[in-house]
Amino acid sequence: MNLLTQEQTEIQKTAKAFVAQHIIPNAAAYDKSGEFHVFLLEAAKPGKIFGMAIPKAYGGLEYSPLTQALVLEEWGYGCCGMATTLAASILSMDSVLIAGNEGQKKQFFTPMLNGKIGAFALTEPSAGSDVGGGKATAVKTAQGYTINGSKCWITNGGFAEVFIVFAQTDPKAGVKGISAFIMERGTPGFTVGQEEDKLGLRSSNTVFLRLDEVKIPASSLLGKEGDGMRIAMETLDLARPAIAALAVGLAQRALDLCVAHMHERFPGKPFPGQALQFKLADMRIQIESARQVLHHMMALRDAGKPFSEESAMSKTYATDAAMSVASSAMRLMGSAGYTSEVGKLMRDAKVMQIYEGTNQIQRLVVARAVLARPKVAVHAEKAVAK
Amino acid sequence: MNISSTENLQRIQASAAAFADEFLEPIAIDLDRTGNFPRALVAELARQQLLSLPTEKNTGFSAHVETLQTLSQVCPAVASILNNNAIAAYAIFKWGTDAQKNAHLAGLAEGQNIGALALSENGPAIGIGPDALVGVFSSGKIVLNGKKIFVRNAGVADLYVGFASIGAPDAMSITGFIAPAETPGISVGAIQLTMGLRGCPVADVTFKNVSLDQTSLLGTVKDGPAILADLLGALALGEAAQTIGIGKAAAKHAAAAARHRIQFGHPIASLQAIQQLLAEIATDSHLAWLGVCHAAQLADDGAPFGVEASMVKSFLGRFGQKLLTDAIQVEGGMGICEVVPPHFQGTLPLARLFRDMAGTTLLDAPGDFPEVLVAASL
Repeated sequence: MNLLTQEQTEIQKTAKAFVAQHIIPNAAAYDKSGEFHVFLLEAAKPGKIFGMAIPKAYGGLEYSPLTQALVLEEWGYGCCGMATTLAASILSMDSVLIAGNEGQKKQFFTPMLNGKIGAFALTEPSAGSDVGGGKATAVKTAQGYTINGSKCWITNGGFAEVFIVFAQTDPKAGVKGISAFIMERGTPGFTVGQEEDKLGLRSSNTVFLRLDEVKIPASSLLGKEGDGMRIAMETLDLARPAIAALAVGLAQRALDLCVAHMHERFPGKPFPGQALQFKLADMRIQIESARQVLHHMMALRDAGKPFSEESAMSKTYATDAAMSVASSAMRLMGSAGYTSEVGKLMRDAKVMQIYEGTNQIQRLVVARAVLARPKVAVHAEKAVAK
Repeated sequence: MNISSTENLQRIQASAAAFADEFLEPIAIDLDRTGNFPRALVAELARQQLLSLPTEKNTGFSAHVETLQTLSQVCPAVASILNNNAIAAYAIFKWGTDAQKNAHLAGLAEGQNIGALALSENGPAIGIGPDALVGVFSSGKIVLNGKKIFVRNAGVADLYVGFASIGAPDAMSITGFIAPAETPGISVGAIQLTMGLRGCPVADVTFKNVSLDQTSLLGTVKDGPAILADLLGALALGEAAQTIGIGKAAAKHAAAAARHRIQFGHPIASLQAIQQLLAEIATDSHLAWLGVCHAAQLADDGAPFGVEASMVKSFLGRFGQKLLTDAIQVEGGMGICEVVPPHFQGTLPLARLFRDMAGTTLLDAPGDFPEVLVAASL
């Protein structure tokens, strides 16, 4: 039974067709060169897919979270490097959806509907998992703010039109002194540094950013001063499921490639031995579990329920499953896997266990939620005695 | 294990470590980028007498795995070239006639000739499938037709040790042979783009009406499957040693990175989550290494070692890739960079080792599970 609506099924079909036409045929070459897939922005422009999270009031598609997950899974199936460009652009938009005013929404969303992308600049050399360890500063002036510092591993940074940048407005206040700002490409003092040469997601653009006496108007501040940490955390809660969706797509691709290879290698034989069958079954179990955890999480979001813990679980489980399924596919395919795109899937999956919050940080989020719950009477006799 | 063999092993280990420092460290990154076969290094390995250790009595296999493990901490691709050459030499040493040994062993040990093993085929197992290599006896010669795939050291090899079915494709009739690379009818396909171990070339080798003297057969027709199993076990042992070398290097570099990286006011090495990952990498590497040493000792003693080699292969099939997956997790963003960004403390990029690891934990054919051999032994 298809639990998706007619509309969702149509959107999924359109995404599949787009991926088959534009992404799958180009993925291997861009992975090899590591060059940024600029063509994709133009190809995706008519379908407005980079605006799928933008409300209709601003000209966007306003897809529900679950519908977005369906599209992202298809993109991840095609190439997680290319899909990361989409996911990271939506990530930057999420901050504006959470905290932006009317003017800021227009400023940020308009480029997204015109073939441009956004970037989310939080990480610094001294602040990775420790988000509060950032050293970038924003000093209030008569005209607005002056920002100094550096940001690293910024996805889309070299090509984005608009950026969300986090900086300390009150360095003494620690995480409560962080604020979020909108910045536009080309602002004087704002320069793009080295592009990273990565193991996986190779055609996704990852750069170092320098902020040297960057002057921005006061209207660039998202929310209030000191809201930065809250905005960052809420943004990441919204964005992590996108990575889970990419990971589900990647894992599904690994299984499909593996099954196709089995049919090729054992022609005319409907079933290989039990050892192989069980490994294929385990891959399928992991993929479907990851997909359902993600869809449930998105349903919670649709329904307006809390989803922070589910978001962390979904990202961790799906990316770990993707790594495991891709490794299994490599092992089952042997040298054929080692000389094929299965290697790319493994390399891509490895990055996904790390970015958008390492899976260790996600586990801390889940563990904190588990330990914060009221104690449960687990022993029958004690419950009765009470 | 007796004292003299321990001393011998320590000498070999020191010699391999010195070789890795002097010759591999400076070229490892470039070799990965260019994939150009490092012929000069093969001559240097010969000078250090590391090129065909399994052909030495009493401690040969133990010394071989120690060498591979040590070299793989720096450059697993060169270890892979070495392992394939050494096991080709071992095949002739263990199963060849005196004439074959006299003709080939010195060249393989001294680096004048490079050996390769032509084993895998397109079908589910060797000897079955559309392109299976088939040999037909004809007026005192054996004539070979068919294709071998994923042959390591292909193209650069001077000598192929291979297996062919006799008469018609049949897994039970496979027979070993030794074929010089220049034999008419042997052609090597394009070098394939592999995920890792770049510099150790991988390609298909096609045999078209290749005519060999019957003196080129390795062992008798009856011995074929046993010889093949022996060579697969020996090869697997070397690959396991490579996997463990990569794992040890990963643990070392990840631990160094964890001591440098300050988050939440402390080096992340002080976090239990990081310690857990590092301890598991070290534990899995160490226990697997004991298994490799034991199987190598059995081989040196002339005892059967196929089951023990299969156990190690099975174990590392499950845990090998995890050594690198977890080591990179410790390094985080730095671990996934092929070139370490200038804004971080420099260390050896684990990205290359992650890719190399995929090449050392492979199975030869999808139907070839080491567990089958282990279960049969029970």
